[in-house]
Amino acid sequence: MDAPSFITAQLLVSVVVILAVVHLVLVLAGYCTYFERKVSAYIQDRIGPNRVGFDLNLPALWFLKGLWGLGQPLADGLKFMLKEDYRPRGADKILFSLGPIACVIPALIGFAVIPWGGTVEVPSFTIPLLNWRIEGGPCVVAGAPVNVGVIYLLAVGSLSIYGITLAGWASNNKYSFLGALRASAQMISYEIPLGLCLLTVLLLTGSLLPEKIIEHQAAHGWLVLAHPIAAVLFFTCVLAECNRTPFDNAECEQELVGGYHTEYGAMRWALFFLAEYSHMITSSAFFALLFLGGYHLPLGVEHHLLTPEATGVLAMLLKFHVFLAKVLALIFLMMLVRWSIPRLKFDQIMAVAWQGMIPISLVIVVGTAVLVHTGRSSTLWMLAFNVALAAAIYILLPLMPRATGNKRVRLAGSRWYPAVGEAVRTRSNDPRALEDRPYEGSLPV
Amino acid sequence: MGPMMDHALTPAATDVGSYLPVLLLVGGAVVFGIMNVALSVLIGPRRDGAVKSMTYESGMNPVGTARKRFNVRFYLIAMVFLVFDIEIIFLYPWATTFANIDQTSPDGLVWLGRILFFMLTTVVAYVYGLRKGVFRFD
Repeated sequence: MDAPSFITAQLLVSVVVILAVVHLVLVLAGYCTYFERKVSAYIQDRIGPNRVGFDLNLPALWFLKGLWGLGQPLADGLKFMLKEDYRPRGADKILFSLGPIACVIPALIGFAVIPWGGTVEVPSFTIPLLNWRIEGGPCVVAGAPVNVGVIYLLAVGSLSIYGITLAGWASNNKYSFLGALRASAQMISYEIPLGLCLLTVLLLTGSLLPEKIIEHQAAHGWLVLAHPIAAVLFFTCVLAECNRTPFDNAECEQELVGGYHTEYGAMRWALFFLAEYSHMITSSAFFALLFLGGYHLPLGVEHHLLTPEATGVLAMLLKFHVFLAKVLALIFLMMLVRWSIPRLKFDQIMAVAWQGMIPISLVIVVGTAVLVHTGRSSTLWMLAFNVALAAAIYILLPLMPRATGNKRVRLAGSRWYPAVGEAVRTRSNDPRALEDRPYEGSLPV
Repeated sequence: MGPMMDHALTPAATDVGSYLPVLLLVGGAVVFGIMNVALSVLIGPRRDGAVKSMTYESGMNPVGTARKRFNVRFYLIAMVFLVFDIEIIFLYPWATTFANIDQTSPDGLVWLGRILFFMLTTVVAYVYGLRKGVFRFD
């Protein structure tokens, strides 16, 4: 008997991958909090969580006690569940709950197009009991092999702004509102260089499909070699999109308490946290896919099971683990960045995006297009272009007008205000002095 | 327009049915979110108080509502973002096709020239915004 037409081998593979990866991401997001605390502990010369094991306070389970604190994420999750789900009086009843849900949905569906294990050859088989005949064939080991490919990742990734904005507005708290405004301004600003860096990749691969991008890198070398500047810009944008330090202005404690989740607690707060860490995992997979060759390993450790041609089950599992190792390494890098680089001010964040990254990524796109047009799309030519661009930036940067106006304006009351009798160089028709606060007591030279 | 090479779409990927797993995933995510919030409401304690349910403003009594007018710069950034976002949306189909066409044919130069002009229009908007001080947040 024939199966319904929509049940194909690809759909069954997709369902299995979705079930596996959803659980993997949820567990990994939980354990990312643990690793984050351990990494920060080692950087700050502390021990970090080391008490909570899986012994559940039962003497019979003494051997599960401690275990380097590995039970901590589980205990945290239970704690979130048992805390009071508190809502302030002025908050919007429905939108206040909708915010975290709208935040966690894009975070959980983003990784659908990541080809974790390349392509797998499924034999034809019959489902017992139902007696449905399923035709075999090559299937993509991804949650959903949609034809828009990486655009899907970009589209879903930017949806998380809605959850943050909703949460900030619904809380009816000035800290939350400002945090949400800042977060949305930051996320839309960093989406532009993110999209432009993706364009440079597409100009070389010529396809939106993740499998084709990995195949191109397996044949021509990883794209981080061809486009190092774009890779750095992309990683920076990923940090900003995930609201990670140094771009976690939305939740900077000194200014805005908790940012958009100031009023949240219990499971609703945990959903924001879960969304942030799932977003990190998805973005790392996105980066590994675009620039680090996906499941492919470079020269020396190349293995025939890690080529696009290998379609066995063993090859699939091996590819999956190589991919996962790259994702974990990138998450570790994100954590190192978080605990070593101080937070930028909001005006600096906007200046970096609009006056630094967007012009540079536009130049990279135009340069790549011209090089592709003249037939110089090899990795060496691209690398030479990147080196030339870096040199040009290095030379031109001191000549650029300063981005911010934090000049030593000698206004009355400021610390640059001249002391009595100090000679200052000024003109009576200085427009800044006339417009702002003309000061007295200085002696014109 | 130009000579199209085969556009690297697998037969399975052109099928609308490939979005079926996405639907499944969205459904699962919605259920996950609602279930977690509902469970927390059901299991957790509930104690209310006049001071407790006050909006948190670092211990001060809150003054007025938070839904007030905010800085116009956020609006300006959103407007400029739209210019760039729509530009990038148009660039994706161009980039995937441009990488596949024969660059030695006269069409290659046309494809490049047109998109460079298109990007020039965005650069004009960018320079205008820069001179107007749209990107200054200090």
